[in-house]
Amino acid sequence: MAQSNLDLVALKKVGMIQQKQKDFFALRLHAVGGDFTAEQLRKIAEVSEKYGRGQIHVSTRQGMEIHFVHFSQLEKARLELEEAGIAMGACGPRVRIVVACPGESTCRWGIIDTKKIARYLDQAYFRQDTPHKFKMGVTGCPHNCAKATENDLGVMGGILPGWKRENCTGCDLCVSSCPVGAIAQVDGEYRLDESKCIYCSICTSNCPTDAWYPAKKGYILWIGGTMGKVPRLGTKLKKLIDSEDELYETIEKVIRYYQQHGRKRERFGHMIERLGEDKVKEDLLDGSGDQKKP
Amino acid sequence: MGQEIKKSLDLHGVVCPLNFVKTKLALETLNSGEWLEVILDEGDAMLNVPRSLKEEGHRIVKVTPLGQTYSVIVEKGA
Repeated sequence: MAQSNLDLVALKKVGMIQQKQKDFFALRLHAVGGDFTAEQLRKIAEVSEKYGRGQIHVSTRQGMEIHFVHFSQLEKARLELEEAGIAMGACGPRVRIVVACPGESTCRWGIIDTKKIARYLDQAYFRQDTPHKFKMGVTGCPHNCAKATENDLGVMGGILPGWKRENCTGCDLCVSSCPVGAIAQVDGEYRLDESKCIYCSICTSNCPTDAWYPAKKGYILWIGGTMGKVPRLGTKLKKLIDSEDELYETIEKVIRYYQQHGRKRERFGHMIERLGEDKVKEDLLDGSGDQKKP
Repeated sequence: MGQEIKKSLDLHGVVCPLNFVKTKLALETLNSGEWLEVILDEGDAMLNVPRSLKEEGHRIVKVTPLGQTYSVIVEKGA
């Protein structure tokens, strides 16, 4: 096979990216939430030595890339990886691999099962065509370690606190430790301003007598985040979403909306800027709660 | 307030987790039910120390803001 016969666009679709050394390619591998088994890592190491130069790059999306694979070796390397259950990643204008923090499985702050959601998003959308690249991130709580707000679509776990008067001893710790000043005490009554609350669960975790308790656990959906040349942080689509089904239905709407309205090579966030945040929210939330019109 | 403060500790400028360690050592010199006052910085110290104290079975009695620090009164647990 001569190099001139290569279909570079088709190769990009499956994560094979031509390097500036034109005879060589980077093999971008599939991953979900940056999880690999030790066995997979051994295979990746083996393939990188056999077909590349033993050079592996850890990507910013928790994936792996094997660099310096000669174009004549691409298919062999790919087959060997796939036989070991390691699929190829994606490049170009499509849904990329999903990033996630460890979430509730191991983190003391984790509110949601990030890996489960990441696997769902991966199975439902990975490699689907979109106007420009489309990145998704799942983070367990508003500490935002997995940077949900820097992704085109970000899912974040959250807790809406409730207050039980009978448990409260009036220590004021909540007022002093709420990072956004959403809690105020008036005549011995503690009140939450939900418009300020970021659902971080610091009050419910810290409260010495559990007067603040998790009244509702759910998901915050961020849309249109991006880094790159023109960065933009994601927009919070609505208040806490409390069912997984509603989360997935809303995500489905969001992705279809972008596929329908995005211009070629226009990132989702920039599309939102063009159409107007209010208009996009209205279109996406039509008849689904928050912004329902009378 | 109901009780006297048995001991006071100024932890302004002391970083995590040393501020918690010092608080814990101070509590060891007290009897269960007695009160300790610690001065903690705003930010990380206020987020971490009270939570760690709760996990160790102590109770926060009162928090009072003092500019960029807080006075935190802790009751030693059983």
